[in-house]
This record gives sequence, structure tokens and C-alpha cells, in this order.
Amino acid sequence: MIDDPDAGPLIYLVDDDETIRTSLSRALDLRGYRVRTFASAQAFLDGYDGTSPGCLLLDYGMPQTNGLQLQKHLRESGIDLPVIFITGHGGVPESVQAMKMGAIDFLEKPFKQSALIDRIETALEIGRERSAAKRARQEFRSRFDSLTEREREIASRMVANPAQSSSKEVGRQLGISPRTVDHHRARIFEKMCVNSMAELLEISLKAATSGDP
Amino acid sequence: MRKSLGVVLALALAGLQLVAVTFVVFSSYFTSERTLLAHARSQLVDVGVNVIQNASWFLSPARGASELSTALAENRIVRREEVGDLEGLLFQQLRTAPQFAGAYYGDEEGNFLYVMRRGEDRYLTKIIDADAPAATRTELIRRSGDFSELDRRFDPLDDYDPRTRPWYQSARAELHSIWTDPYIFFTSQVPGITAATPVEGAGHNVQGVIGVDIEIDELSRFLAKLQIGVTGAAYVLNRNGDVIAHPNPALLKTVGAAGDLRFPSIRTIDDPLARAAFGNRPIENGIDFETRIESDFEYGGLQYVSLIMPFGLDDIPWTIVVYAPENDFIGTLKKNRAQNTLIAIGIAAITAVIGLALANRIYAPVRAFAVRSALISQGEISPDEPMPETYRELEDANTALVNQIRQRKKTETEYRMTFELASRGVAYIDGASGRILRVNTRFAEILGHGTEELEGRPFQSLLAADETDLLARVGANTEKHHAFSFEARALRRDRAAVWIRLNGICFDDASGGSGYILATIDDITKVRESEEKIEKLNQEIALVSRQQLMGELATGLAHELNQPLTAITQDVDAALFLVENWPERTCEIRELLTEIDQYAHQAGDIIRALRALIRKDATSATDFGIFELLEQAKRLIQTEARQNGLEISVSGGAEIGVHADRAQIGQVVVNLLRNAVEAISAGDCAERQIRVSARIAGDLAEVTVEDTGPGIAANFDPFVQFESTKPDGLGLGLSLSRSLVEANGGTIWHDAAKQGGCFTFTLPRKGLSA
Repeated sequence: MIDDPDAGPLIYLVDDDETIRTSLSRALDLRGYRVRTFASAQAFLDGYDGTSPGCLLLDYGMPQTNGLQLQKHLRESGIDLPVIFITGHGGVPESVQAMKMGAIDFLEKPFKQSALIDRIETALEIGRERSAAKRARQEFRSRFDSLTEREREIASRMVANPAQSSSKEVGRQLGISPRTVDHHRARIFEKMCVNSMAELLEISLKAATSGDP
Repeated sequence: MRKSLGVVLALALAGLQLVAVTFVVFSSYFTSERTLLAHARSQLVDVGVNVIQNASWFLSPARGASELSTALAENRIVRREEVGDLEGLLFQQLRTAPQFAGAYYGDEEGNFLYVMRRGEDRYLTKIIDADAPAATRTELIRRSGDFSELDRRFDPLDDYDPRTRPWYQSARAELHSIWTDPYIFFTSQVPGITAATPVEGAGHNVQGVIGVDIEIDELSRFLAKLQIGVTGAAYVLNRNGDVIAHPNPALLKTVGAAGDLRFPSIRTIDDPLARAAFGNRPIENGIDFETRIESDFEYGGLQYVSLIMPFGLDDIPWTIVVYAPENDFIGTLKKNRAQNTLIAIGIAAITAVIGLALANRIYAPVRAFAVRSALISQGEISPDEPMPETYRELEDANTALVNQIRQRKKTETEYRMTFELASRGVAYIDGASGRILRVNTRFAEILGHGTEELEGRPFQSLLAADETDLLARVGANTEKHHAFSFEARALRRDRAAVWIRLNGICFDDASGGSGYILATIDDITKVRESEEKIEKLNQEIALVSRQQLMGELATGLAHELNQPLTAITQDVDAALFLVENWPERTCEIRELLTEIDQYAHQAGDIIRALRALIRKDATSATDFGIFELLEQAKRLIQTEARQNGLEISVSGGAEIGVHADRAQIGQVVVNLLRNAVEAISAGDCAERQIRVSARIAGDLAEVTVEDTGPGIAANFDPFVQFESTKPDGLGLGLSLSRSLVEANGGTIWHDAAKQGGCFTFTLPRKGLSA
């Protein structure tokens, strides 16, 4: 299977059991998913570029590095791939830990195919959303970076305390005239591609909630 | 054989004095006899020397006379041609020595002059003139002692010729004085010899021979007068064994074949004793007249000593034989000796009697002591009773004996009490009949009988009917101190069964009988009951433990089962999807269905393995293949192993059939495998391998589970209960495994020599178990 990033999302299947790899990848393949299988966590780490979209079907119990350890590793490496655990003997503590770490779900073998498809769809959706958010945040950051020092200071004050975001208030705080503040505000709105204070607040909030500020 | 001290003493004393007396008697017997016999011989030698001297004295004048006459004649002091001169000379010679019988001169022409003694003071001269006619050839002249002529006459019948006579011829041939052999003089019929000397003229020509006759009957008379012992005698032999001198002269003349008188041979002389004295010594080649021979001979029932002694005189080859009966010398001694022997026997008898009396006296206290000892040991009298006066040594022995007896009685009492009060049942059983001889209270108590009822009863009658016979157990092993032990069911009088353990020792009978058995018994009914209880509990523990093991395995097994099930669901989904969307892709659908079937069977195998292990039926041994079991056990552990990243390999050849409880052995294998998994997981091992193998070892199958873990410390016994190397282990696993293996007729051990853990257990093979 050729890993073609332009061809859409990939499903990465990591399981040490060959029968599972074969049957599961075949079933998903028939349903039109592109599946790539790995026999161990290490094989996956060696084969994944860290950025390609998709989702990870991860067997919990594997020799050497188990599923949970791989999930932790990915998280620590900043690889943002949605994870669905599949396990033969999942206990409650393991599932709780996996969910805490941001797993989409913890499916116990044998699972219903519909449930798996449902989770895969969710994961891919989340993946898509995360990609969108990421893109928005990157855009906000680049716009924010284009502001001058004074504009950045004014914008920060406005976003930090929207109740006192009038030009007069800001001018008093900074010891400059409200008129000067108005000019800066117009420049900020233009550079940040917003039309109102409300819009600025919204994009800055979105960028803040989806990761780094 | 042991001898009584009394007999030994008596024999020793009597024997000793007998030996002493015998020695004294015999030593004097032999030494005195030897001395006297030596003396006898020296006496015989004396006689011989005496005779020889006598003969020498007797004979030598004749030679002297002969040689003197010759010298006178040769030097012409006496002229041979003058018959008168010569006759005078010869006459003178006769006068000087009375033993001379005659003197004569013969010459080369055959002339002869002979002067001979004729009775008392009478002489006869014979003159032969060879040239004269026969009638006047021989003239005889009788003379008196003063040489005066009495008468003369011719003897015409005489034809004597001196030249033909041996004395003449010998002397002429030898050219010096000779002795003739003795012979009997013709005229006097007396034995004698002749000394003859040749008369030489100028140029050593023999002119004639002068001879002197000596009568040697004087020698016989001398022999007759000799005192040799009491009845001894001597005689003289010439060189050819003729007797020439004998104490009885009458025996010396015998008539030869030609009617001539001659000496008798020693072989034929009419004196058997003389013959015996000479014995069978050879005479045919002449008698050895140089060696002295001392010997003994027996004649007429008497023992004689003899001496054969050569004369040793010049050219007189005579031998003297002297002999005398031994009794002449040692007769008295022999008489004395018989007397002495009698006296010695008498003394021996007396001393023997004294010796016996003495021995008896010495022995009496010992006998008294022996009787007393016997009585004490039989308990007839008390050892404290005073001892009769006796020897100090015996008193010491008595003290020791009394102490010994006291000690023995004490020991006997102690033993009796120990026997009676012993906490174990004790019985003496006859080795031949198997009947009880004696029992203690405890024995009777255990079997619920009275002691009196038991004595005399066969021991076997106390046991349950199906128990092996006691004597059959002992069998032929009745040798000294053969020990044996067994457990059996006995029946009390109330018919209640009681389990006993019997320890027995066989003792020989000192008198060679079949001996007896000393048996101690313990009531082990309670022990037996608790053993049975423990056995049952063990089984329960095994079951519970197995169930717990299943619980522990459940998670892994669930995963193991979920794998095929998940694969099945996926394949079913794929198949359904194909049927709905591309029903024409039957080939793929078939492939999926085949896989599904395979996975379903996999799941089934796991369930079977689980069921095999969890089965509840208690200890039912069956035949099964060990590899099949090992594979199933591996199946159950597979997940755990895989999750810990280790591999389990089962190796071996063809299937080995064993006979055991399958579930229990499965439990053992799973237990060993889990231990191995845990050992490897706990350690940081480079190689993570568990090797399971099975092989045939004689009647047994041998299964080994080996891991690459850190192994077990040398000082740790992994089979002890409640000891574990695992932090949360109970220590029951291996202990239980051992119980299970042993319950199935096998053994289990740990090979500490191996790097990692290495456990091996054995099982009886199918059809080969006892």
C-alpha cells in the first residue's frame, strides 16, 4: 500500500497478531478505507512521518512497547493522531487511563464492525477538525505577528479585558490620546482581518483553546 | 574341647614326672652302654696287639737265625762246603731258640743239610749228597743235645730235592729273606712257617738257601691262654683265609684232597662262632691285611663284638680276629638296667599318685568355686553368702562375678520394668511356630486382649485375614538381627480394626534352634486416618489451586480466545460486505469462510485445553499423549508469554503415551510454564526462551521445562511449601506440583546446575506402570 498523503486519510493498524492484522485490514479495505498495518509500536514509529492525517487503531496488549506506552510517546512527541484502542482483555483502569490520554475509544475484542466504523469516522472527523483548528491558529499567529509593538500591546489589553476595551479607557491606561488609540484599533482590525471587537475576541479565543496561544 | 582344671593338673604332674624319670633312665641306659662297649673294643684291640707282639717276638728270632747263618756262610766264616761246619752252625741256631723246629741249607746242586729237633734234647741231621749214588745219597745222623753222635744210617728211599721246595724257590727268586706261608710240618705234623734266606756267592749268584722252620702251635697255645672278656676268643688267619692259629689246635689240621694235612679255611673250620665272627668278608682274592675292622654280630641269640685286625708285620700277611659276647662286658650293666627301670616305674607310680592327690587338692577350691558359681547363677544361693576359703585370684574372680550377677539382676529388673511399662507394644514371637511367647501390657492394650490370653496364640491370628503371614515376611531371613518392618490391619477382640506398625528383629537361638522374633508394635490407626484426611485435603487443595490457576489464566485466555473471535467477526463483516456489494466475488468469500472455520477451530482448541485442565474428576488415571498435553498447556500460557515477549518451544520426537491423571499433570505443566514466564519477566534477560521437551527414559517419560531466567539460588529448595522466590507467591505451586507428580507415580526435581530454571518430572509410560 502506497502511502500517499494527498489521497486522503490513512488508517494505521498496530497489532502483534497477524490474524487480526489480516482480517481487520481486509474488512476495512473492502469498505474503502486505506489501511496500513504494523506488527509493533516500533515498526509504526519507524514508518510514520508524524504529520500525515488519519487515525491509529492500536492494540493495547503487545510485547515490548504496549499500546498505552505508544500513545504516551506520540503525545509527548506532539504527534496529534487520533487513537482508537482495540484490546483483547481491556480492564477498566487501562481504559480510563487511555481515555484520559485522549483516546477516541477503547474497543474490546471482538467488537461490532459498525462500532469500529463509527469510531473511525469520528476519529477522522476529529482529525479533520484538528487540522482546521491548527490551520486557524497558525493564521491568527501569523496575523498577530504582523502587528507593531504598540498595536500588539493595545490588542492584548483589549482581548484581556473586553469590558474596558473602549479607546478612551485604553488611552487613559497607556497615557495616550483616545484618537491615537482609534487609529491603532483600525490598523489592528485590518491586520487581523476582523470587522468588530467581537470578531477579534472570537478568533483569539479559538486560537487559545486549540493549543498554544 | 574344654578340659577340667583337675584333669589338666593331674595330667601335667604325672606326665612331667614320667618324662623326667624316663629321661634319666634312658640317658644312663645309653651312655653307660656306649662307654662299656667302647671299653670292650679297646680291650679287643689290646688282645690283638698282645697277640701280634707275641707272634712277632716268637717269629723274629727265626729270621734273625736264618739271616745270621746266611751271613756266616756268605762270609766264609762257615764254609758251606764243609758239611761239619755248617751242621754245627745250624745246630747252634736250634739250640738258641726252642721254637725252632729245624734249620737247613740247600744249594744249587741239590745238596741238602738239615738239622732238626727230635724230641727232648735229641736232634737229627739229614745230609743229602746230590752226587752220591741213591743208596748213600741220604744219610741220617742222630745227635744228643751236646752235638755228640748217637748213630747214623742211610735212607735209600729218600728222594728229597731242596730246589723243588717253595721256600727255596721263593728265597731264590726274591733274593732276600722271605717267610713262607704257614703250613703243617710233615714230620712233626705241627703248624709252622719257614724263614728262608738266599746265600749269594760272588756276583750275586745264588749259591743256596738257608731255611729255619718255626712251629707256630705255640701261637695257638698262647691264644688258648688269652683272657678275652669271659668267653671271648681269638684266632689268626693267613692271607688266603686259612686259620693258622686257634685256641683249639685240634681244629687246625684237616686232610686235603690229596691226603695231605692242611689248615682249614675260615669258611669251613669246625667252629661256627669263629666263622660268624669273620662273617662273609671276602677271602677269594686274599684278605685285606691292612684295615682294622670293628663290628658286631649275633650268634646263638647273643650279641658279640668283634675286631679284625691285620698284623702289620713285615711280609707276614696275617690277620687276627678277636671276638667276645657283649654280655661279657655289659651283662651286669643290663641286669642293673632292668632293675633301674623297675625302680623308676615304681617311683613314677608313687609320684603319679602323689601328683594326683596334689592336683586334687589344688583343684578342690576351684571345684568348690565352680559349684558355687553355678548355684549362684541358677539363683540357688545368694551371691552374698560367704565364700569358702580359697585362692586370692578366685576371690577376686568371685567378687567380679558377684558384681556381674548383681548388675545383671539389676539390668534384668530394669528390662522387665521397661518391657512392662514400654509405651510401645512389645512381643516375643517364636521363630518356628509364629506363636507369641510373651507380650507386655501395652501390646495387649493395643489389641484389646489380656496378656495371658495372648501368650501361646499364633501372632497371625491377631491380624486381619487378608494380611501377609508374618513368617512369610521374614522368610529365609532368619539370620542374626535381620530387621524388618511393615504396617498391617489387626483385629481387636471386639472385632474393631486397628492399624499397627510392626518393627521386628530376628534373634538366633543360641542352641541352634529357629530363634525368636522381637516385635514392637505401634497403634497407627490415628496416623493412618490423618494421612487419609491429608490425602483428601491435598486433592481438594489441588483442585482449588487448579481453579485459582484458571482464574489467573482467565485474562490471558480471554485474549487468546478474543483473537480468533475478532478475526472471525472481521472476516464475517468482510464476507457480508462482499455478498451485499459484489456477490460475484465468490472466490474471496470462500477464502474468508475457510479462514473463519480455521479461527473457530483455534478457539475450540483453547476451550478444550481449558476444559482438560479444569476437569473435576478426582485422580482418574488415563492414557494420553504427553506432547498433546504440552501443546495445550503452551496454548494456555501463550498470551502471557507473548505479552512478556518470550517464546515457548515444545520439542521432542514421536508422541509418548503416559498413564496419569491428565488434569493434574496439565496443572503441573502450566504451573512450571507460568513460573518460567514469571522468572524470565522478572529478570532482565537478553534471551527470553522457554524450552519444553519430553523423552523416554526406560519405563518412564521425562518432561523438562527449562527457561533462560535467572534460575534458583543454590540454597533454596523450591519444593518447600510456603517458601517462594516470588514477591507475592504463596509457595504452594511447586510443592503442590510435587505432590501431584508423586501421586501419579513420578518424581520431580530441579537441576540447579543449569543457568536458568530447569525442572524435570517423570511419569509412568502407557502400559508400563505398575
